[in-house]
Amino acid sequence: MTCRKCRETPVIHLPNSNISLCKKCFLRYFEKKVRKTVRIYKLFNKGDTVGIALSGGKDSMVTLNILKSLAEQQRTTKIIAIAIDEGIKGYRDETLKFAKKFCEENQIPLKITSYKKEFGMTLDQILKKLEIKPCSVCGVFRRYLLNKEAQRNKIDILATGHNLDDETQTILMNQFRNNVAASSRLGPLTGIKDDKKFIRRIKPLYFLTEKEIMTYAFIKELATPFNECPYAENSFRGKVRDALNKLNSEYPSTKNSIIHSFLETLPLLKESYKKQDISYCNTCGEPTSKEKCQTCKYLELIKK
Amino acid sequence: MKIKVFDEKSKQNIEIEANTIKEISEKLNIGLGEVIIVKNGELVTEKAILKDQDELKFLSVVSGG
Repeated sequence: MTCRKCRETPVIHLPNSNISLCKKCFLRYFEKKVRKTVRIYKLFNKGDTVGIALSGGKDSMVTLNILKSLAEQQRTTKIIAIAIDEGIKGYRDETLKFAKKFCEENQIPLKITSYKKEFGMTLDQILKKLEIKPCSVCGVFRRYLLNKEAQRNKIDILATGHNLDDETQTILMNQFRNNVAASSRLGPLTGIKDDKKFIRRIKPLYFLTEKEIMTYAFIKELATPFNECPYAENSFRGKVRDALNKLNSEYPSTKNSIIHSFLETLPLLKESYKKQDISYCNTCGEPTSKEKCQTCKYLELIKK
Repeated sequence: MKIKVFDEKSKQNIEIEANTIKEISEKLNIGLGEVIIVKNGELVTEKAILKDQDELKFLSVVSGG
């Protein structure tokens, strides 16, 4: 078996299109796919300051690496990496070391903030105090801090490492929970235009699978050995992920079909739910759809 | 033939009698869509040909964070 394009030894088989690619052709395929996503969905404009939510894991490292070369080509686009230290011992401290080293070596500005600094407690401490699903509280706090840190650094748009696997899982989870409104806030570009407090999010790796991203990370030496958060295994997402992976191994176009059919319905979903105006939390002033944001509700529980 | 497979949990090589990567993945219950495969330090596909005493690593692609 040889590379579909140049007959060299392949490094990856892409089951959806049933082709195999060598190292060189795969890197070209991958980067082209990201560039196409940025162009078609107009993820950012020349002259923008693009923030990259950096955890040090493979997805955000690959996002940073690719956006860095795109910014260099465009010259006027600036990039800033933003990292949140949730305080997960033996996991985040290790991935952040890797992220810091990469940013130093590549002269990328990196801003780090933490749960400890902002909320007075690490995630490990919070979970000892609150009987709550780790991913729920962590997700709310992380999104809140990313938005706040992006505002502080005058970032126009914030890129995350979300990929095709993440998105298909979220779409299905929203279906299982009968939460269509949440799905209307998905897609390669999210958030509300022209809201000064809510920084829009982009997902440059939207059409790439975890396997493709890991392959790219391995070739470019961006893969960290710390892959899975210690709190992740009990989550609902983990169960949906396992079921989807099983289905996709039998029917290789499953994840792609979910994404593409979802994107066809997304404009209708956005139209249906656009009336939900954004308001601001009466405690902290940050954007929320309710009177009090979820971060402030959790903080009240912690302080009790 | 015998293949040395690196076990992520014990961080040790285990020897497995097999002729193909697919056979090994089935014996170890590894989903090939959820790993990348490294043979003797080089990235390969699941269809790569094996030789006796080859060293294999299955690196999980699943991230959670």
